[in-house]
Amino acid sequence: MARAWIGGKPAALERALAEAAGLLAASRCPLVTGLGTDVAGARAAIALAERIGAVVDHMDADVLLRDLTVLREAGMMLTTPNEARLRADTLLLVGPSLEQDVPELTRWLGLDAPRRHDAPGERAVVRLCPGRAAPPMHGETRIGRDPDQLPTLLAALRAGLAGRPAGKTGVSAKAVADLATQLMASRFGVAVWSARDLDALAIEMLCGIVADLNAHTRFTGFPVAPGDNAIGVLQASGWMTGVPMRTGFGRGYPEHDPWRFDGARMVAGREADCVLWISAYRAAPPPWRGGPPVIALTTGDAALGVPPAVQIEVGWPGVDHDAVEHFAPLGTLVAVEATRRSETMSVADVIGRIAALSSACPGEVATGSPTRTRAKNNTETAR
Amino acid sequence: MRTRIAGGRVIDPAHGRDGIGDVWISDGRIIAAPPPGTVADTTYDAAGKIVMAGAIDIHSHIAGWNVNTARLLLPEFHRAAAARPAATPLSTAGWSTFATGCLYAQMGFTTVVEPAVLPHYALHAHLELADIPIIDKATLAVLGNDDFLLGLMRGRDGAAAIRDYVAWTLDATRSLGIKVVNAGGSMALKANVRQFSFDDVVPQYGVTSREIVKTLQHAAHDAGVPHPLHVHCNNLGMAGNVDSALATIAAAEGLPLHLAHLQFYGYGKEGPRGFSSAAARLAEAVNGAKDVTIDVGQVMFGQTVTISLDTLRQFNARHQARPRKSVILEGEANGAGIVPYEYRAGDFYNAVQWAVGLELFLLIDDPWRVFFTTDHPNGAPFTAYPEIFALLMDRDRRTQQIATLPADAMAVTTLPAITREYSLAEIAVMTRAAPARLLGLDDRGHLGPGAVADVAVYADERDRAKMFRAAALVFKDGELVVRDGAVTHYRWGRALGVRPERDHAIDQRMTRYYEDRFGLSDAFLKVTEHAIGRPQPFELVPCAR
Repeated sequence: MARAWIGGKPAALERALAEAAGLLAASRCPLVTGLGTDVAGARAAIALAERIGAVVDHMDADVLLRDLTVLREAGMMLTTPNEARLRADTLLLVGPSLEQDVPELTRWLGLDAPRRHDAPGERAVVRLCPGRAAPPMHGETRIGRDPDQLPTLLAALRAGLAGRPAGKTGVSAKAVADLATQLMASRFGVAVWSARDLDALAIEMLCGIVADLNAHTRFTGFPVAPGDNAIGVLQASGWMTGVPMRTGFGRGYPEHDPWRFDGARMVAGREADCVLWISAYRAAPPPWRGGPPVIALTTGDAALGVPPAVQIEVGWPGVDHDAVEHFAPLGTLVAVEATRRSETMSVADVIGRIAALSSACPGEVATGSPTRTRAKNNTETAR
Repeated sequence: MRTRIAGGRVIDPAHGRDGIGDVWISDGRIIAAPPPGTVADTTYDAAGKIVMAGAIDIHSHIAGWNVNTARLLLPEFHRAAAARPAATPLSTAGWSTFATGCLYAQMGFTTVVEPAVLPHYALHAHLELADIPIIDKATLAVLGNDDFLLGLMRGRDGAAAIRDYVAWTLDATRSLGIKVVNAGGSMALKANVRQFSFDDVVPQYGVTSREIVKTLQHAAHDAGVPHPLHVHCNNLGMAGNVDSALATIAAAEGLPLHLAHLQFYGYGKEGPRGFSSAAARLAEAVNGAKDVTIDVGQVMFGQTVTISLDTLRQFNARHQARPRKSVILEGEANGAGIVPYEYRAGDFYNAVQWAVGLELFLLIDDPWRVFFTTDHPNGAPFTAYPEIFALLMDRDRRTQQIATLPADAMAVTTLPAITREYSLAEIAVMTRAAPARLLGLDDRGHLGPGAVADVAVYADERDRAKMFRAAALVFKDGELVVRDGAVTHYRWGRALGVRPERDHAIDQRMTRYYEDRFGLSDAFLKVTEHAIGRPQPFELVPCAR
């Protein structure tokens, strides 16, 4: 069972698949993006991109790459929400977007429940510039209010930790000094941030604070990541190609370049002439208007503004079919069983079908989805 | 369908065979030579060539969260540079799983063990392993810094519960054996302890590193796991740490124990810089402890990255990162640490490390008990193996290299005086027969009838590095996969694991534990076949009981 549309009108699946394969085959610079999918879908999408010389991007690559830029230029000390819940005596929550980005965050960090019997003492919660709208948390201390204060406040805090003077930050010098003292006195602290709120330099400053604190005590960090299994897709991209998304295969090997392979830029610049847009966890539309023909693989039949050239309904990973995806509380990939198993095809299934319609390629690397429904759909690509 | 590899010099130490002859293959297995006059369906001429079983690497970090994080940390060191051959997508993609399988196969390797898989990351590791083509794989599950084990020990739960927990872990994570990494050290670091030795006590749990090692050694043995406990000792990389290794060797106490990358523990405090080789003492101890096996973790000069679950060591080494960036993860149990490093030939300390590895290779008498790792990529990438084999087989080659290294470094080692040269047969023991025996893989590492038809054929070059770098022919499960050093096509190997018997009461206990501590079903860490997405991704290896 799969619903499909060509130019916004219902169409038979076979026709839609053939139309999609035809568009990709005719394309001189295809773009595979959105990429909101499970690990099997990511593996299939990357393998297809490699085969047809496409560019791979992701709907949240801007945010992901802000953290990755800091990781690969300066390094990071990291932990998981679960470890923070079990062990942290100090939580430094940075910026206004945390709860909005991850409504489950307070639960992940154990802020919604009494502490475990074996947890270390009382826990301090410090919020840096949470914005005016943030609802209060139990026992929290707030420092700063507006997010645009964050870069200078973080710089002043780092200076304070090193015993150096700092200029005006919009927050009293005493409050900054007291915070530095408090962080130094913590036994196991965790900084939590979202790259939506901070540019790469501010993230690097925060990671520098974490690193400096480790000269005396233990402190680590947790960047809240975008949804749609973005980290799972990043992991698959890492092991398959060695690099993150924003990678092109036009030269027959993966080249990573955050500017050159920015999908929105490629569409605006009329470089990409065909887009395979994937959004299986919801039906997010592409963030641009107009542009080249789009083949959309999305959940449900949501209208995507201008009707895509081809739209094929795919299942919601972990709901319609079994899936492997990133599980943030433990920071690892987990297998999830379908909660409402259906016959809807997975992203990997659909890509496998499209790939099979393209010219046979002896070295195909993807093998379709790990779902139990795959056998019925008989969608394995050539092996 | 019978295949004949004809007229090569067949070196098969497991059967005492070293001479000109044929190897016959049928249905993916080695078969006894059929009666004279039998015609093969396919014959490969191996005249003038060396024929060995496929090589087995017992310790190489090739997959999982930490390896993948190292990739993301260091994009500048593994740029792809060549368009891929038509039949092998992503095989030239810098540092990808696909490249990993191809590079191993080209050297005649057919089985590789990823030795550092935390149970919570097992699915991730297996997904990466499944995308490594051609070779078979296995994982070692890492215990010893996990709350459950330390809780069992603190609660004096007894050997049976711990043995069942080990068996449960092996089953859930589809692993071939158990490893312990700086037992208790990562837990101690979380409590801000910065140095941790064999008899130090883990804060909050009241057990020593020694007790953890002994407990896991007995549990793995009692559960019938063929591979002995795989130990990464305390105090890796520190001057004077030979005492840590000697204490661990002495603690084997008559039961099998494997010590990983021993080179990193071969350091004394002698000499003008307070850093010297203690390899001779260490080798003497290994020679005298017949139940102990070791792998070397040879250092070779060049840029690399250290990837380790020894969070304490990596935390302390973060300021020595070359280039200056690292990732330290405080995760469940061990966590992980990724610290890039460049071993420089002109650096006193790095030159001593290089020598210590070679001394261990050459001073440990029994090639059945010393293995050839570089602890990939910690000492050097696995692609350096051919150069190491050449150094072991050729004293002149060593002498030439010693001449280029700092003389004060060589003066605090015994390497310049060592004359031993490995024979091809000894290389075959160390890379084939011995690893198979150590891992309990009865049908690998040899060319007897019934063995998996993993065969490597090398040109008999004077330059042994050249010879081992590019096999003339490689067969995996009887299928030709490499010709003249190039992979011809992909096939998909399996991950080997054991499943010791256990009292299933432990299953309910684990379910309760995960619900209580994590608010989760323990199902999340069980690696299932259908989650991997390739047909028949696993193969079960029999246990001793």
